[in-house]
Amino acid sequence: MFWRVLRANPLTLAGFVVVAAICIAALIMVVAPHLLTAYGADQLTTDYNQAPSWQHPSGTDGIGLDIYSETLYALPLDLAIAFAIAGTAMIAGGGLGLVAGFWDRPGTIGGAVSIFVMRVTDIFLAFPSLILALAIAVSLGRGVWQLIVAILLTWWPYYVRLVRGETLAVKHLPYVTAARAAGVTDGRIVLRHILRNVLEPVVVYFTLDIGTVLVTLSTIGFVGLGLAYPGQAEWGSMMSYYQGSGLITAYPWTVLGPGLAIFVTVLAFSLLGDGLRDVLDPRSRRVLAGTGTGAITAAAPPEPPVPAAGAPGELPAGPEAPVAA
Amino acid sequence: MTDAVVAIEGLSIDYVVGAGRFRAVSDVSLEVPRGHVVGIVGETGCGKSTLAQAIPRLLPEPPATIGGGRILFEGIDLVQVPRWKMPQIRGTGINMIFQEPLNSLNPAFRVYDQLAEAVHIRQVREMGRASVERPEPGPFDYSRRSNPTAADAWSGKVVPGGAVPEVVHRRQVDQQSGLSRADLRKEVLDYLRLVRINDPETILDLYPHELSGGMRQRIMIAMALSEKPSLLIADEPTSALDVTIQAQVLTLMKELIEEVNTSILFISHDLGVIAETADELGVMYAGKLVEFGPVAEVFESPRHPYTKALLRAAPTRYKTDGPLLSIAGNVPNLSHPPPGCRYHPRCPIARPLCRVEPGPPLLGVEGMSPSHRSACHFPAEVPQIP
Repeated sequence: MFWRVLRANPLTLAGFVVVAAICIAALIMVVAPHLLTAYGADQLTTDYNQAPSWQHPSGTDGIGLDIYSETLYALPLDLAIAFAIAGTAMIAGGGLGLVAGFWDRPGTIGGAVSIFVMRVTDIFLAFPSLILALAIAVSLGRGVWQLIVAILLTWWPYYVRLVRGETLAVKHLPYVTAARAAGVTDGRIVLRHILRNVLEPVVVYFTLDIGTVLVTLSTIGFVGLGLAYPGQAEWGSMMSYYQGSGLITAYPWTVLGPGLAIFVTVLAFSLLGDGLRDVLDPRSRRVLAGTGTGAITAAAPPEPPVPAAGAPGELPAGPEAPVAA
Repeated sequence: MTDAVVAIEGLSIDYVVGAGRFRAVSDVSLEVPRGHVVGIVGETGCGKSTLAQAIPRLLPEPPATIGGGRILFEGIDLVQVPRWKMPQIRGTGINMIFQEPLNSLNPAFRVYDQLAEAVHIRQVREMGRASVERPEPGPFDYSRRSNPTAADAWSGKVVPGGAVPEVVHRRQVDQQSGLSRADLRKEVLDYLRLVRINDPETILDLYPHELSGGMRQRIMIAMALSEKPSLLIADEPTSALDVTIQAQVLTLMKELIEEVNTSILFISHDLGVIAETADELGVMYAGKLVEFGPVAEVFESPRHPYTKALLRAAPTRYKTDGPLLSIAGNVPNLSHPPPGCRYHPRCPIARPLCRVEPGPPLLGVEGMSPSHRSACHFPAEVPQIP
């Protein structure tokens, strides 16, 4: 099913393949880096300022570091930081949004909590998030954890906003009322009926967000507040170091390696995120799969509400399924 | 009110919209006797859906507020029940079938998941009740022989000695009763067969958008019935369906009432549907209940001018040739209801008294069965209306 949807949409497929490749590469770099590069982390060679060659695909810098392997060594760290930030923001912010969206009756404890959460969110959103993140990064000092905390503190409010909006839209839909009429408790309605229906835009946003976090991470590194490089390879700090040491004009390949890595990773996650929407929505799933196999009929209207007749190949032969009404 | 599943007493419901406030349901008193089907008819906007949703407290509050009155369900006033306790009464106590079969099933879940949830809720509660009924030695007096209802689950009134049913956790149910997934699946399949769905095995794995409107409505009915509620509120369950499916669904509901032993409050604007299903009929106009009585009697000899006009306007055997009659005038705006009797601007037998004096409470009508009551000042004159 997943594969058919991917096949129906070449750009999503490209995004998926690249993201998969990136994740596998990151895994290899953690487990067995020698499979992808001949050099160890921070290993100095005797080749200084070499242009890209077969031996050094992305050249070397003034102290003999191989840019290609440094970029690869930065990959697991960059990915881990991005996932940690976006993931924590999604869970924390999303949870707050869910609670604030569902229990928002004015005059109740829930309503008061909801108002409090939303005002705090507004305050955080009112600050330019990059400046706030930079300020926090400065006050916390250098380090991976400091970097994560700095970005995370500015990252969660967007998820609150997103999830609360979706929750407000979903919670008055007839099927939620129907679930309440069936005696389902509030907690279960939130965790089952509402969460499942807001999940789709949130996961899509999360995937796109990985790219955004990476860019922010690189920006902080680029202005020199990230990790200490050379020593701890991270794409933003690498670019900052090579740009700051004036090597960018004489030896442009030093910046090209990490720059290209950021570009490809962000693009891949964006492409994947766009297509993910179709995979997660049960209503568009079958139609898309139908397009992929060419099974969709000309009679099927393209827009939802999608009739079951959209993908005849997918349907059971149940006599009543598509025609009863 | 000897044996009513639900008895509504003087219920008023207000909507607060902006600075305005209007009374969508005013001073409605109504009883649904056990095992009966009570129909409610009225024009669009007369408050019948508001009334229906107010009983299980499903109205969004705000904007709706209960302005007064009581909703006695199995002797418990639902108006006083805190919101967080209501889920225990909904489902197995009061269940509801909605007007929109297209949107009343969660689009993200398969048919099986939705039905299984309903069946499981009932199983959990049955376990809770069983734990109450288990005879224990001690000072408890189990004089009450019938099953405590869902409503008793929180009140503790039923079992003298204050043995409140213990809260049973889902996992406990699975362990104690030995109910397995296979059993749950089997029961879900049984209910799908009960609502006459062919090939239920296949239907189980489909998403709601892959089903037709009639199928979805039948699944909604299966969900409601699988909880074996003592009161089922059907809010225009067939209005969104076409006529052939309507007939199927109605026949089905009638059969099921006997199989599951449920009382029904049936809301509709379709007199034919009501005549087909109901035992008693209530007629609502502008937020008020204007007439109530046995369905055949109300149809044969209405005792409120509005009921009479409504019957004449319906395309039934009463009228087989010529244009359909409509009721002159419009439904009053409920934020400024007319003074006096609310129907007087459209009433052919209105007198000066009707403009000043609000319609009387439902009163018995002379020469009719005792349960037949009308809210007209001059019920005796209604038969003379042409």
